[in-house]
Amino acid sequence: MTAVGRRIAAAGLALGVLLAGAAPALAETTLEKIGRTGVFVVGARTGSPPFGFIDKQNNWGGFSVDLAKMVHQNIEKKLGKPIKFELKESTPATRIPLLSSGAVDLIAGTMTITRARRESLDFSAVFFVTGAQFLVKKGSPIRGVQTIAGKRIGAQQGSTNEKVLREKYPQAQLVVFPDQPAAFTALTQGKIDAYTNDGVQLAGLKAKAPNPAEWDVVGEFFSYEPYGMAMRKNETDFRNLVDFRLMEAIESGEYQKAYDKWFGAQGEVPYPLSETARIFLQMQVIPR
Amino acid sequence: MTLDLAVIASNWRFLLVQGLLGVGAFGGGTLALAIPTIVLGFVLGIGVALARLSARPWLHQPASLYVLVIRGVPLVMVVFWFWFFIPIATGVPLPQYWVALVAFVVFEAAYLGEIIRAGIQSVPRGQVEAAGATGLRYADTMRFVVLPQAVRNMLPSLVTQFIILVKDTSLASIIGYMDLTKAAQTVNQREIRPFELYLFIAVVYWLLCYGMSQGSRALDRRMGAPARAAAETGP
Amino acid sequence: MPRPFLALAYQFQWSILWTSPYGGWLLQGILTTLKLTVLGWVLAAALGAVFGAVRTVPSRFLRGVGGVYVEIFRNVPLLVWMFLWYFGVPQILPAAAQEWLNRHNGELIAAVAALGVYHGARLAEVVRAGIQSIPSTQLEAALSTGLTLTQAYRLVLVPIALRLIVPPLTNESLNLLKNSSLALTISVAETTFMTRQIESYTAKGFEALTAGTLIYLGLCLGVSAVMARIEHRVAIPGLIVRGGGAEH
Repeated sequence: MTAVGRRIAAAGLALGVLLAGAAPALAETTLEKIGRTGVFVVGARTGSPPFGFIDKQNNWGGFSVDLAKMVHQNIEKKLGKPIKFELKESTPATRIPLLSSGAVDLIAGTMTITRARRESLDFSAVFFVTGAQFLVKKGSPIRGVQTIAGKRIGAQQGSTNEKVLREKYPQAQLVVFPDQPAAFTALTQGKIDAYTNDGVQLAGLKAKAPNPAEWDVVGEFFSYEPYGMAMRKNETDFRNLVDFRLMEAIESGEYQKAYDKWFGAQGEVPYPLSETARIFLQMQVIPR
Repeated sequence: MTLDLAVIASNWRFLLVQGLLGVGAFGGGTLALAIPTIVLGFVLGIGVALARLSARPWLHQPASLYVLVIRGVPLVMVVFWFWFFIPIATGVPLPQYWVALVAFVVFEAAYLGEIIRAGIQSVPRGQVEAAGATGLRYADTMRFVVLPQAVRNMLPSLVTQFIILVKDTSLASIIGYMDLTKAAQTVNQREIRPFELYLFIAVVYWLLCYGMSQGSRALDRRMGAPARAAAETGP
Repeated sequence: MPRPFLALAYQFQWSILWTSPYGGWLLQGILTTLKLTVLGWVLAAALGAVFGAVRTVPSRFLRGVGGVYVEIFRNVPLLVWMFLWYFGVPQILPAAAQEWLNRHNGELIAAVAALGVYHGARLAEVVRAGIQSIPSTQLEAALSTGLTLTQAYRLVLVPIALRLIVPPLTNESLNLLKNSSLALTISVAETTFMTRQIESYTAKGFEALTAGTLIYLGLCLGVSAVMARIEHRVAIPGLIVRGGGAEH
């Protein structure tokens, strides 16, 4: 019928327009784009203390945000002009499309570097090391991956934890949430028996909960989660800028200062830097 | 289960000033999105209505296709489409506000367009013929004779759709736009008191929408309730 | 002309839509959407018929009750209702009830409750308009044959009204179908949720969104076609309610 025919024609037209828009022929690099628009847009978390979160005064900040601000300094230096720093909310479910569509230039949050992700994005050097665990109510029978069969386990849509649970531990009942706050609220209401995420993020949730003593972070790391800042593929100049700034920060002690501010004993979420992690970070700093 | 109203007492300013009005560090704002959408949606809706009534196929067919597709798809879908693909199409990192605005205007214009179209069709043909006989051109006929009457006839349905529009803006929270709903979610992240917080914003929305519907009724009474044509109302 | 921008060339890969497990996810999503729509519709129809009829009876008190139900539920966005039913209501229920909900798919129950009660308020208005458009002579005639008010409503008015309101009923049914997508915010794995899921696993946003769009278009066309057949078969010549629709 003509209605269907019309619809197909319109879809084809839209497809053509989008394909033209996506043509790699005259690709602009990230630095060129930032220079042209005058804005450096960073995707950050709003519900993952202390990497990216909104505090009691309704200010948006965090450890990853601070690292992004350091990168911003070097962008301004490199481009030789003032650049606006803008934050945009990104969650595991939305960060890759936000990056690939150009809506953000850098993801500075809690993104795990994986081989699969490296096929479509690039990552900075590792800026944090952790692993997946479970958050449970104190006294819960769940102690780790061996004890989750038949239990309702919450995870964020798009996270590596969701994937691991779905693929490696199908005996658990996976409940997928659009974001972390929804998952945590569900946990407090007993809708799920445990919530899985990277250990440090769980520590952050626990620390910021209305009653931290009610919660436990349990289980051996059942996956290795190295965090990196993500950017579009094939952007050597931008990646070098980000990496070198990270290395500068580690060398000069800026990184340690930021780490202590958020993870130190007086920090938002006390989480001591393990010796292994410290050495690993140090060894990422390549000679000039 | 005890109600903890303190969470409202300490956060109502953030919820109302940032969430409802849009004044604050996060931009956003329910009204800041709803009011321009109403205005722009109305204007675009007139265009859509006229295009659908046009005899020229190059106007008529795309407009009909547009209305058919938009009305067959949830608003959430339309929002996701614009959210993912506006940055690709324009090459500029558009602030969230503009993405949300465009998505909502495009969506609501399809529904408003149908209401206006029904309104135009409810104006007696005699009016158009008389206008033509006095020498008015098409554009002037529309502007001075048909549209004013059409809008008057459809005012109740239009205001109904505007109220729906205000409720629809809550969906902007799904893409992170800091409206009233997102503001409540943000506070809930910290405080974990969903019942109190969502009840509070439910009351705020209720006052807003009920107020608009009462205003519409008052307007109706004053204008003597002209013919209610067959406008289908939206979600 | 759109400015060519992406350094990342988007490679289309439509095959993901039917490869496992993504194809399976889409089908599951469609089933869940249908489940939400049907269950929500049943609840909405029941509430709508009762409260719509109640709004037309002589008793001021009953009319008031109906009015309160309608005005409360239709002036608050459905998204907020979703959150209230899923997160808010359990907070005030006793622990045993909460436990039961958690074990029995509380997400779906909350979504159906939100959809049913919200659209019930809107359907109540449609039913009310339908009943009010029936000439009062019908009710008088029914009463004069000795039927009680309740019987008159049940046997005469409501059946006629149902046949009159098929067009606005179709509209509301489509709205309910489309609004089922909001259940994704409370973790119900319906169609839109699944398109986001596919997109987060494969990074193929265009394909996933297109699939979702076509699915909804298909479902809406299906519902419209079915309702058009019903309208044709039950139409009472000369008496179609076209206006006084669902309000907001």
